[in-house]
Amino acid sequence: MYSIETIELSRTFKRNKGRLIYALRDVNIKVRKGEIFGLLGPNGAGKTTLIRILATLLLPTSGKAYVLGYDVVGEANKVREVINVVSGGERSGYGIMTVKENLWYFTQLYGLSRRDGWRKVRELIELLGMEDFADIRLNRLSTGMIQKYNLARGLINDPKVLFLDEPTLGLDVEVAKYIRRLIRKLIKEDPERTIFLTTHYMAEAEELCDRIAIIHKGRIVALGSPEQLKKMICDELVYKLEVKGIYSKLGERLKEAGFSKAVSSKSDITTGLTSLRMVLSSEEEAEEVVKWLIGSGYKVISISKVEPSLEDVFLKLVGGKLSEE
Amino acid sequence: MRSRITLLLKVAYARAYVRIKGGNREPSWVVWEILLPLLAVASVAYTYMILGAPREYIGFVVIGGAMISYWFNVIWGMGNALYWEKETGNLETFMITPAPLEGLLLGMALGGMFNTTLRALSIVLVGTMAFKASFNPSGLPAAFLIFVLTMVALYSLGMCIASIFLMYSRSGWRAAEVLQEPIMFLSGLYYPISIFPTLIQLLASSIPLTIGMDGIRRSLLLGYNLYDLRFHVISLSVMIPVLAYLAKRMLRYMELRAKVEGRLTLRWM
Ligand SMILES: Nc1ncnc2c1ncn2[C@@H]1O[C@H](COP(=O)(O)OP(=O)(O)OP(=O)(O)O)[C@@H](O)[C@H]1O
Ligand SMILES: [Mg+2]
Repeated sequence: MYSIETIELSRTFKRNKGRLIYALRDVNIKVRKGEIFGLLGPNGAGKTTLIRILATLLLPTSGKAYVLGYDVVGEANKVREVINVVSGGERSGYGIMTVKENLWYFTQLYGLSRRDGWRKVRELIELLGMEDFADIRLNRLSTGMIQKYNLARGLINDPKVLFLDEPTLGLDVEVAKYIRRLIRKLIKEDPERTIFLTTHYMAEAEELCDRIAIIHKGRIVALGSPEQLKKMICDELVYKLEVKGIYSKLGERLKEAGFSKAVSSKSDITTGLTSLRMVLSSEEEAEEVVKWLIGSGYKVISISKVEPSLEDVFLKLVGGKLSEE
Repeated sequence: MRSRITLLLKVAYARAYVRIKGGNREPSWVVWEILLPLLAVASVAYTYMILGAPREYIGFVVIGGAMISYWFNVIWGMGNALYWEKETGNLETFMITPAPLEGLLLGMALGGMFNTTLRALSIVLVGTMAFKASFNPSGLPAAFLIFVLTMVALYSLGMCIASIFLMYSRSGWRAAEVLQEPIMFLSGLYYPISIFPTLIQLLASSIPLTIGMDGIRRSLLLGYNLYDLRFHVISLSVMIPVLAYLAKRMLRYMELRAKVEGRLTLRWM
């Protein structure tokens, strides 16, 4: 039995003027127990929608989804017993109550006895190192503290399947690192557990996940281990170019000119440079690009071949960057 | 089934705990919850005293003031309960747990009732001591039974209102504001509803508060016993299952709509 299984799962939303948009389109994924499974995709790709369906908050338009064999539509209560969801930047709980009191409240929603509830709260405070702010009101916590509290809340029922929607969103390097360590620890502790996470950070996905699915406009466009995904572009060359001046639309213009669709551009105001990253099939093609740039009046400062990364797989499949990072 | 009920009660207890402990953490609550309503009742009581109205009239006003606090709690506290939980993101977090929404609402009702009872008691206390309102002790058992029935009916109505407000948010509030005055008027806060024409009396009696208030006044001021008040008891007992059933249906409907549409509030009117 899979931890998570979706079969031809689709979800549409009505936009204004009755236009339908597909937030998910024929999604088929199978996540095994013990896996850390990552879902990567740009804004609006459908990541949160998928988590919401798996967490019984949203009904699919068509298709099926199972969590530990339970149908998310027909057996929602069974699913709710074994899952939990934590989203980056969420603020659930009651601001005027302390961290401890809030956590205790959530233990009661899972039917723990009052004593077991308090014991669980102590356990979680220790696990997440929250002793310093356990007695502080929720509305006085910093972003990092809140995210630890959120994770503690997400672990109250010892979920067999934990959904993390951008768990390190907006956190500083230290806290983000701490949370990634915790995620690995959670899997090590209980090999039956599964973690399903979405992220904007390519390096995070590469570092944490056993397997990654790349989602674009509601479709899964690639699925595999980070190594397998990187093999998808092992025959290709990745170039970095620097052009003098700020041209925010340069990537688009190169695409229009008929070069590789896998191009991203980023301008840096402080240095006054625009840097391009392109996935190309040959050195000749790179020469063509440089010729075109010079011919169009751009000043090319440097060009270098770089080691392909997961970012470039994404670039190739989606034709854009995942995040501004 | 049994474990579902245990879970429901646990959730209700925990939510009431949050409501009472959190709600009373800031000392300013005493002003809003107790002092202001007391002032309102005191001003009417003074007016009656100056006009030289008989002592029963003061008791009448005190009971009215105490009971109307529950109505305010039902429309403003219960009515906004789910909406507020949604806005703070707590409703979603709640909905991914196995806990039943009925438990959440019950907990908020109990928490609200606790605070409101403090308010109602202080109104009765001050009314008795400062304004010398006098009550007939032989009516106490009947008054108590009617009070309990009224509370159950009233807060079941509150649960219905909570779902309605959640789905129609802003227009729901406006409706509550618009309805507040006529309901205070119809419920007979400061005078017996028997002064109204029959049709309006009937309309007024469809609100559990009106029946409850009238029953408690008759028992505590005029010493009516349960037999005298049988129609009050029967109508409240009929209202309870109807309102409770409605509340449950509305919750289920609201939950389904949320899952189909992908969010809880749709009509921003
Ligand atoms: N309740 C809703 N009603 C209408 N459209 C919605 C709703 N929820 C999501 N959508 C739409 O579905 C698409 C997918 O949204 P979703 O939130 O799943 O994206 P995402 O991958 O999580 O994006 P992000 O990285 O920004 O969080 C978007 O176009 C979004 O506007
Ligand atoms: Mg999202």
